[in-house]
Amino acid sequence: MEVAEVTTKDVLDVRGLVRRYGDLTAVDGVSFHIRAGETYGLLGPNGAGKTTIISMVAGLIPANEGSVRVAGLDMTPSETEAKRIIGLVPQELAIYPDLTARENLKFFGRLQGLTGKDLTRRTNEVLELIGLSDRAGDLTKKYSGGMKRRLNIGIGLLHRPALLILDEPTVGVDPQSRNSILESVERLSVEGMAVLYTTHYMEEAERLCDRIAIIDEGRFQAEGTRDQLITLTGGVDRINLRGGGSTSRAAEALSALPAVQHVDSDGAGLMLTVSDGPTALAGIVTGAGDAGMSVTSVEIVRPDLESVFLHLTGKALRD
Amino acid sequence: MYGLWTMVANDLRQRIRDKSVFIFSLIVPLALMGVLSLVFGGLGDDTVDLQPATVVASADDADQLGAALLGAVESLEIMDVTIKRAPAADVRDEMQASGAELGIIIPEEFSDAVLSGQAASVQLVQGSDATLESGVLISVVQGAVDQIAAGTVTAAAGGIAELPHQDLATLAQQAAAGPPLLTLTEGQAAAEQLSPRGTLVAGQAGLFLMFTVGFGVLGLLAEREQGTLARLRSMPVTAGTVITAKACTGFILGVAATTVLLTAGSRLFNVSFGSPLVVAALILCVATAATSLTFVVARLVRTAEQANVAQSILAMVLGIAGGAFFPVQGTGFAATLLDLNPIGAFIRGLGISAGGGTLNDVMGPVAVMLAFAAVGLVISRFLPDWGAQA
Repeated sequence: MEVAEVTTKDVLDVRGLVRRYGDLTAVDGVSFHIRAGETYGLLGPNGAGKTTIISMVAGLIPANEGSVRVAGLDMTPSETEAKRIIGLVPQELAIYPDLTARENLKFFGRLQGLTGKDLTRRTNEVLELIGLSDRAGDLTKKYSGGMKRRLNIGIGLLHRPALLILDEPTVGVDPQSRNSILESVERLSVEGMAVLYTTHYMEEAERLCDRIAIIDEGRFQAEGTRDQLITLTGGVDRINLRGGGSTSRAAEALSALPAVQHVDSDGAGLMLTVSDGPTALAGIVTGAGDAGMSVTSVEIVRPDLESVFLHLTGKALRD
Repeated sequence: MYGLWTMVANDLRQRIRDKSVFIFSLIVPLALMGVLSLVFGGLGDDTVDLQPATVVASADDADQLGAALLGAVESLEIMDVTIKRAPAADVRDEMQASGAELGIIIPEEFSDAVLSGQAASVQLVQGSDATLESGVLISVVQGAVDQIAAGTVTAAAGGIAELPHQDLATLAQQAAAGPPLLTLTEGQAAAEQLSPRGTLVAGQAGLFLMFTVGFGVLGLLAEREQGTLARLRSMPVTAGTVITAKACTGFILGVAATTVLLTAGSRLFNVSFGSPLVVAALILCVATAATSLTFVVARLVRTAEQANVAQSILAMVLGIAGGAFFPVQGTGFAATLLDLNPIGAFIRGLGISAGGGTLNDVMGPVAVMLAFAAVGLVISRFLPDWGAQA
């Protein structure tokens, strides 16, 4: 897929990124860019190549082909200037269990170049932001999973990076902490930070991301805003009819309706692909009854990113 | 450099906080030293306290050389000697009665016989128990008789040369009373071995140094396993800085632990390793050599468990081969290999230092340890980084 227009406000510019492991091409020609204040999502199932892309963007591993530029600076494993601009929140917890939250923050802050009062002030601010001020002096090995996750994110934010990279930050997090993390990311975006966010949770991508790339088997399948991606499915809804009786006659009758594009049948009922499901629903239920089907339940499924992924790859996002 | 020392300080804080470094670097080796010392009881008693001895002697008071011989025995500095006089026939009885260690029977006209070049025999009678003291006394008498014998030989040579009788006597007296032509001076050679206890302390310090510096590489693998290595590599520090920080941590812990072990060991086991400056140089060199080995281990292993096993094997092999538990000697190629062992070199260096050696004297062991470090670093550069591929 072609890269979108690049502007001078781009914080991240990725072009033609390729990464191979032996015969396996984990990332195959990926291009995208992120502007300041924009949250960009990489949505795909586990093993799609999201973390490999993150690793190249953060300068952890080199790309076999292509380039990564952060605020105009080349990013490779040996570059240090570009790394001052990014903040990485790895998928795995990356904190020291035998240090306190404050010690963890100060250590990574020093490595990012913060010193003296500036370091102390930012440490306190971040502790406040992630809600750990009252536990700042405790060893992190005594923290709950959610607290560790919040600290994991806080370390990435400490030096106010222009680009924050979050790799599946809510995996294994309780709902309360998850919501807290998502709120934090929303706030950072509003404050002007560019955010690269990977997830396999459709809801998170829909809630947070201004633009989303759908990735599978190392390739971008599609990229755009949520609404742009939805249109890729043709904008159709799905209606699931559950019940008994003469489902085969009902399927035949419903196929003739103008709004119905496709009808599938399984042992439990019918699954219809329709345009404008809410409007067509009454006629469909009536038609099914007239054809001899006793309808026990009806479900309208509006198109979402899951549908887009299914439409593009032929498999579910969580497969 | 700021990043490097920030990481070193962070590592040291964690190592001190988790206390394992104290257990493996100080408590275990000190305990092991104590146990080994008990197992090999009597190890390292370097000094022997000789007990006072009694000698029963038969000699003519007017005999000049006989008196000189007994004087030599009585004036021994290393032990108190009491000489009891008795007639020649009563010497054995008197020995039995007094429990004397030695009896000396000097014949009548002993001096005249010597000075005229004739044969003369001094008879020694050892006590019922062959003690260390009696052995020392016999050696002293033997030495004195040998010197007196030089007088006899001189007089005999003068007789062959047909010198006047008076001149013969003068010559013989001078030869007997003069200093020996060849003297053996006991001293401490530069390549002197450590005492058994000194070897035990030095060997255990060297052995556990291999474990202690391993905390550096273990730290690197722990970072990898707990995910912080990825975060470190996303920071504005080079990969080389991260590895160097781990090596510095291991090195500092190694130097500190070895210094404490040698200090504590020398106090507990009453051994001295000589000049602190020389010992410090040796500690720095052996810690450098051991640290270089951790770079090799870091390349070859993928997990902390593997690193532990590899480090333990290397420590035991090098420690045992270096003489950490008992002296190991070889010939030919094996001897060369043993000489190149940094722990062996460390123990040799401490032996030289303990014998009064200076920095110049320990240059050999120092060179071995630094060469080992250089080879370790070079090898690690060319090994594939299996750990990073994990």
